[in-house]
Amino acid sequence: MIWSNAQSTPNRTSPELGLTEYVSMALQMFTDFLRRSPGGQVLDLGPVCDQNINFFARQIKRLYLCDLFLRLVRERRQKPPPASLWRDLDYPLKSFDGLLLWDLLDRLPEADGKRLVDTCHNLLKPGGMLLVFAMGEDMNLSEVCAFALGADYLVRLRPQPHLSLPVKRVRQNREVLNLLRPFSPVKSFIYRNGFREFLFKRA
Amino acid sequence: MLRRTDKPKDDIEYAPPVSAVASPSAKTEKTVIGENIAIEGDIRGKEDLLIQGSVKGSVQLEKHHLTVGARGQVEAEITADNVTISGRLMGNIKALGKVEITKEADFTGEIKAKRISVEDGAYLKAVIELEREPEKKPAAEFKPAAARPLGTVGEAPKGS
Repeated sequence: MIWSNAQSTPNRTSPELGLTEYVSMALQMFTDFLRRSPGGQVLDLGPVCDQNINFFARQIKRLYLCDLFLRLVRERRQKPPPASLWRDLDYPLKSFDGLLLWDLLDRLPEADGKRLVDTCHNLLKPGGMLLVFAMGEDMNLSEVCAFALGADYLVRLRPQPHLSLPVKRVRQNREVLNLLRPFSPVKSFIYRNGFREFLFKRA
Repeated sequence: MLRRTDKPKDDIEYAPPVSAVASPSAKTEKTVIGENIAIEGDIRGKEDLLIQGSVKGSVQLEKHHLTVGARGQVEAEITADNVTISGRLMGNIKALGKVEITKEADFTGEIKAKRISVEDGAYLKAVIELEREPEKKPAAEFKPAAARPLGTVGEAPKGS
């Protein structure tokens, strides 16, 4: 995998959040990949975002949405058996050409993170792409944001005050790669404040 | 001494019945299925429909607007011009126009539509198929030069 330093891209910051908008290199690569499979299917694991729905649903044939952020928040309130989070990821194996896993892994306990990675691996078609975002230590780790995709791959981070799901742990790059070992790493981008984007492929 | 003048009878505002609201401009009517009504079966109509109660079956309003209100609970196959969801809906939607999902909504199913809007906070397990635009050339070509390759796996730049 090639590491790229994306410092030279537009990267507007605010002291509270550490990053409010930036140009996403990984989303551009992910989208280029999807354009090559126009009959494709993509699964977005949330947070659900209007701009991203409209963007991806016009690039591909079918966009699947299953907002695990909201499910996690609701289920924490209700204290159900731990398996219930996974109940909704009941898609057939090898269904998807692309999978969007924003910064959810940062907000899950280690065991759930591993389980989610394995589930994603099972759901992705061979050759399919997984896009993962990981927070940097200098960012606001208590607030969940939607990564709203705009023109020319400008991503705006929009706070989601209804989602109380603080980051459990900021993983180092090596730890992220280790967690996502079932996949082949393709390319990663690191931004000024440590925010990272990882693109993986299922072999 | 000043006295309050009685309002002439002609000025009394007209209050339309809840179940059929007439809009003076578009002359479209709206039927309301109230909170305490449960319907099982097929609904076909030629006017807008607001569901605040419970409906199970199918709803066909090909040229009209279906709204599932915040208290509505619907389990149905839906065909409509535009659909707004604020309540709970399980089923498939085929909309000729727009589907609007508000933050109060809980939706499970498939949506085929021309356009869609979704508010942050909507609870979804959905499959979305939108009418696709003809292929356009991307506004900006991908320029790898913007991101400088620094090494291979494990050689992440420090201090970034």
